[in-house]
Amino acid sequence: MAFLEFSHLHKEFSGSIAVQEFNLDVEQGEFISFLGPSGCGKTTTLRMVAGFELPSSGRVTLAGRDMTYVPPNKRNVGMVFQSYALFPNMTVAENIGYGLKVAGKPKTKIKHRVDEMLALIHMENFYGRYPGMLSGGQQQRVALARALAFQPQALLLDEPLSALDAKIRLELRMEIRRIQQQLGITTIYVTHDQEEALSLSDRIVVMSQGRIEQIGTPYEIYKTPSTEFVASFVGQLNLVPVKILDMEAKQGQLGEHIFQAGRLAEKFSPESPCLAVRPEEINLGHQDGHNNLQGKVESIHYLGSIVRIRVEVGEAHFLMDLFNDHKLIMPKVGENCNFNFPAEACWLI
Amino acid sequence: MNHKTRTSLWAWLWVIIGALYFFVPMYGTFDFSLRMIKGQISLEAYRVIIGDPLFQEAIVFSLEMAVITILISVILFVPTTYWIHLRLPKLRPVVELITLLPFIVPTIVLVFGLIRTYGGPPFSLTNTGETTNILLVGGYLVLSMPYMYRAIDVGLRSIDVRVLTEASLSLGSSWWDVILRVIVPNLRVAILSGALITFATVMGELVLADFLVRPALGPYMVEIGKDRVFEPAALTIFSFAINWAAMGLIAFFARGGTAQQITGR
Repeated sequence: MAFLEFSHLHKEFSGSIAVQEFNLDVEQGEFISFLGPSGCGKTTTLRMVAGFELPSSGRVTLAGRDMTYVPPNKRNVGMVFQSYALFPNMTVAENIGYGLKVAGKPKTKIKHRVDEMLALIHMENFYGRYPGMLSGGQQQRVALARALAFQPQALLLDEPLSALDAKIRLELRMEIRRIQQQLGITTIYVTHDQEEALSLSDRIVVMSQGRIEQIGTPYEIYKTPSTEFVASFVGQLNLVPVKILDMEAKQGQLGEHIFQAGRLAEKFSPESPCLAVRPEEINLGHQDGHNNLQGKVESIHYLGSIVRIRVEVGEAHFLMDLFNDHKLIMPKVGENCNFNFPAEACWLI
Repeated sequence: MNHKTRTSLWAWLWVIIGALYFFVPMYGTFDFSLRMIKGQISLEAYRVIIGDPLFQEAIVFSLEMAVITILISVILFVPTTYWIHLRLPKLRPVVELITLLPFIVPTIVLVFGLIRTYGGPPFSLTNTGETTNILLVGGYLVLSMPYMYRAIDVGLRSIDVRVLTEASLSLGSSWWDVILRVIVPNLRVAILSGALITFATVMGELVLADFLVRPALGPYMVEIGKDRVFEPAALTIFSFAINWAAMGLIAFFARGGTAQQITGR
């Protein structure tokens, strides 16, 4: 039996389906991200684990115990909110110790645990400060410490980094992962940021319109997306309508070009087949043994270490991402150029 | 003279006119209250009032009623307003309308309604002084309802009630812990401002206390005014001083907060 189980979870709000047929097993100590666009049901699912929403049907089990209708204050799960939700009337120490205080723990134990948590988040000097005196990043660290202080069975994070600027987000992301691994706590992390999900997670649950699109490791989600949605939501993707010549051989045609694909997607749609290939898999020039195409350079965008080139091939367009190193020979806009990608790097979807 | 200077001068003119309209009569009253001993400026009128056993009884009684009204008001309105914010936000316009009723229904109608409804059997609350005080406090609760509700409502709007509640519950709080440890401490200024406005309302209230025949400050002031000259002026200044002290305390404790949190408007 998994540590945290979602069984046929379903949630409706006034006839509108927010989550449908959500099934997931989470092992103890795993870091799972729920990834998807706004409104896909990821936060609603998280709130059902926390007990702030009741499912319309289905079950949530934690450590063998059916939690579906257990009140939120009896579930022993810690939660970190997007808006930090620190108690403005309490100091950092009081915020962190709050869960232990309401549980009736002795003051010495609370103090000891608070000191431990402050050391964990590297904020030992902030003991007596109030939330209003902290930066966003500091507040979120304190919120994390508070959620962990009472040693919950699981940790839930609802887009905890969304309100922070890019640099702090990056720092805190690593902190969260470090702390999670150090404590070995089962964690569910909700985000719409694919970079966060890919860098933090043991597994990712990609959601769309209340349904699970795919569950897999970051590598699996990125390299072998099973649906068009996953392929286009996670990372950049070239998705080009093609004609299938031989389904078994995974051979297709784009204009006058014949190409070989590496695999068929799990949810391949033969009615509207598309060739999927990531921009970073495409290279300039001709390469024997690869799929070789030719097109006209439409635009070139410098993104710092990456140069993104858009190439027109008939009515289709390809984006290619090239490393901006000293070896790169740039084509010009309007010029014809050859480009190639290996068969293993593309698939039919 | 440029447009900005002209606008500023006009603004100051109206401030001065308003201030004169308000402060000149008050100054006149204060000056009059100091002239009880002919040919002298003295606090004799104040001394007479403070030494009057009836005044002492009235002020103690009004203070007791004010404190009881404030306590019941806070116990009643804080959880109710909190629950409306948290679970029944669609009811807010309805509740706001209800809290405006004391402004629409005259106090005389209120007190007659109370006497008619609760004066006879089975309640018979007007039979003794103590039971009549229950009616009086009930009336004060109604009169102070707009101020207390609004003050708490504004206080709740300035905090994220839902997220703080959920954060507290996720940490194992009971509902009482949520209210007492998280919500109420963050409503301190709002509760205090509501309490002080309630205090000022109760201390100066006349109609309820008069018709329920209770020894409150309002009826005492009317009684004094019937056959005394200087003492009513002193009482008027005294009454103003109570109100200003209440407002001053609100401003003191709310420093750093918004004006809305102070007055509930």
